[in-house]
Amino acid sequence: MHIEIDEISKQFGTTAALHPVSLSLPSGALVALLGPSGSGKTTLLRILGGLEFPTSGRVLFDGQDATGLSVQERRAGFVFQSYALFRHMTVFDNIAYGLNARPRASRPTRAEIARRVTKLLELIQLPDIGARYPSQLSGGQRQRVALARALAIEPRMLLLDEPFGALDAKVRKELRQGLRDIHDTTGLTTVFVTHDQDEAMELADLVVVMSGSSSGGRIEQIGKPQDIRARPATPFVRDFISA
Amino acid sequence: MRAPLIHRSPMPGLGLSMGVTLTMLSIVVLLPIGALLLKGATYGLPGIWDTVNRERVWSALFLSFRLSLFAALFNLVFGVLLAWVLVRYRFPGRRILDAAVDLPFALPTAVAGISLTALYAPNGFFGQMAAEIGWKIAYTQWGIFIALVFVGLPFVTRTVQPVIEEIEREVEEASATLGATRLHTLRHVILPMLAPAALTGFALALARAVGEYGSVIFIAGNIPLVTEIAPLLIIIQLEEFNYDAAAAIGIAMLLISFAMLLVINLIQVWSRRRIGYV
Amino acid sequence: MSDTPNIRFRSATEETPTARWVLIGLAFAGLGILVFAPLIAVFVEALADGVTASLKSLASPDARDAIRLTLTIAAIAVPLNAAFGIAAAWFITKFDFTGKAFLITLIDLPFSVSPVVAGLCIVLMFGANSALGGWLVAQGYPIVFALPGIILATMFVTFPFVARELIPVMIEQGRAEEEAALTLGASGWRTFWTVTLPNIRWALLYGVLLCNARAMGEFGAVAVVSGKIRGQTATMPTTIEMLYQEYLSVAAFSLAAVLALLALLTLLLKTALEIRHADQLAATHRH
Repeated sequence: MHIEIDEISKQFGTTAALHPVSLSLPSGALVALLGPSGSGKTTLLRILGGLEFPTSGRVLFDGQDATGLSVQERRAGFVFQSYALFRHMTVFDNIAYGLNARPRASRPTRAEIARRVTKLLELIQLPDIGARYPSQLSGGQRQRVALARALAIEPRMLLLDEPFGALDAKVRKELRQGLRDIHDTTGLTTVFVTHDQDEAMELADLVVVMSGSSSGGRIEQIGKPQDIRARPATPFVRDFISA
Repeated sequence: MRAPLIHRSPMPGLGLSMGVTLTMLSIVVLLPIGALLLKGATYGLPGIWDTVNRERVWSALFLSFRLSLFAALFNLVFGVLLAWVLVRYRFPGRRILDAAVDLPFALPTAVAGISLTALYAPNGFFGQMAAEIGWKIAYTQWGIFIALVFVGLPFVTRTVQPVIEEIEREVEEASATLGATRLHTLRHVILPMLAPAALTGFALALARAVGEYGSVIFIAGNIPLVTEIAPLLIIIQLEEFNYDAAAAIGIAMLLISFAMLLVINLIQVWSRRRIGYV
Repeated sequence: MSDTPNIRFRSATEETPTARWVLIGLAFAGLGILVFAPLIAVFVEALADGVTASLKSLASPDARDAIRLTLTIAAIAVPLNAAFGIAAAWFITKFDFTGKAFLITLIDLPFSVSPVVAGLCIVLMFGANSALGGWLVAQGYPIVFALPGIILATMFVTFPFVARELIPVMIEQGRAEEEAALTLGASGWRTFWTVTLPNIRWALLYGVLLCNARAMGEFGAVAVVSGKIRGQTATMPTTIEMLYQEYLSVAAFSLAAVLALLALLTLLLKTALEIRHADQLAATHRH
């Protein structure tokens, strides 16, 4: 799905989080929102997911105005930094949650839900953990379960907030490839937030470099990783990617 | 080699603090409870059974436990609601409401007892309103229920409040992004997270209500077989210097409340193990 | 944010405004009926015949004796329980030993015992019919139907209050500061007075406050052990009962109003402590 961000700004009370920003994300792209903390990248991601509402501006999905869509109507697969797994539910129930939450008329049958969950567990290469609770999983496994849970609702896009932030260096490398594979399999437009420029450069097709200031976060440069490396548009980008 | 009972520690005051703790605990709590159990032992199981196995005693015990259960269930629902409102919403009067939750802890039970009676008696403020629709509250089981709700009110709210404060917003947001309505999120995500703490509060409220005396006797009417609670029977036996019978009823109450607490603790251990945090 | 284009935006973690106001309304209604109404009723009934009648009943010898006795009981039982609470919290948090969890359960035991059963236990232990009680009466030291029995009964029902407040706070604070003081050459007592006590003073005050409120208001246990002898063993709560049974409503409610004022003062101080010294109190307050 093609995502269009049109002059979006966000204020929390009197603090500006986002200076009006515009951005066009082609369908099926794997996009990194890269920037230091305070650059508004997470706010932008949450606006896409319907968890925050912009102070001004519009969000368009495939040309349709989606600004007023509630979070439930957006069908954005969202992976939280802390994963936010439901700790009182098994992995199976966590992944099935979105399907079970549908109104009765559009809810798949039990067998169909079980079939889909099993398929997703295979997709994340953890076929045998359905009966476990989140507390019995490693950090990397939790991240993949959160991903599977987000995919279960057949989302229109995949949004990930610092998906590798809580993991150690070795697991991080493995899961980067995992996310790339899932993106390529599903073909979903995928946006992830990171402050790690290696991660952004290695994984994404398109990198959006953001910076923060007292008037809110703004976009410094949009481009392919190699272009940003070769031709940083501003001194900020040059400093940030060489850090 | 066995681990020592008390590990060596550089901290001073082991002898003194242990001595004071164990001595006072023994004199004030353990020996008196021991005396009750000893009395029961010398009276013998058949004696206890004969005392308890009378219609008046059974109906008093049944009344006490049944109404305590209802009151604790009411407090379970209302207490969770109250905790949610106090933690999540900002509105004028919130601090006063929060402080008022503790009033049943601070207000002496006898004061609560006569005051509730004054309100719910047929000529009282609420009693008159109820009488209009032919509903009698004071001197019936309804009156006992209200007194027991009053004394158990704070427990669930106070155990659940800190848990609500610690719920991560992201978990609720995750539920919403997966398409769940707010009601679905409350029912399937938030309530299960509150359940262990709510159950603890429920158990505390129940234990308190079963033993409650002061706030109940004024409003109860104390009619044998109808509105006579178990603690009152102990008092009646004592006033007749019938110590064996008093001890028998006391032991029965003690055993039933411990059994209830044990069951609830087991449920909790089970649910904690299942959810996986200890 | 006057330029918000769509007003219907609502955070994903909030209920609809209607639902919120219904819930807030239920909270006010419930607490209004269950808590505020009884509190107001105490004062309305106490002042039914005017302030003078009410004050006059408080000045009667029975009422004055009851107030004096209740203050005496609290003045003895509360410090003793505070001393116990400090000792128990020190023993439990500064040392590692087998059976710690069991000891904590035993300290909490009075919360799950009916006050009437607590009184019964003390009568069976120290009453004239028991071996120990008989001997004590023969020596001229009766416990039951006398002040010592009332104090024991009061201590029984308020036993866990101070310890329960102190233990979590002292676990949180750890042992490092005491260890530092000891390595600097401070004696055990000096360490306690200059390091531990300043760290736990607000939690201690909090526990003492709750303990005191319950001690002054205890009815069930005291009713059993006191014998309710006017002028001698009738406390404020038991005197309230006797006056109420004699249909002396104003006198009963006037005495009740004094205790209700004390309860309000307790809540006020407690709330003030929670606001100003929250960091030094236990994270949760269960009673």
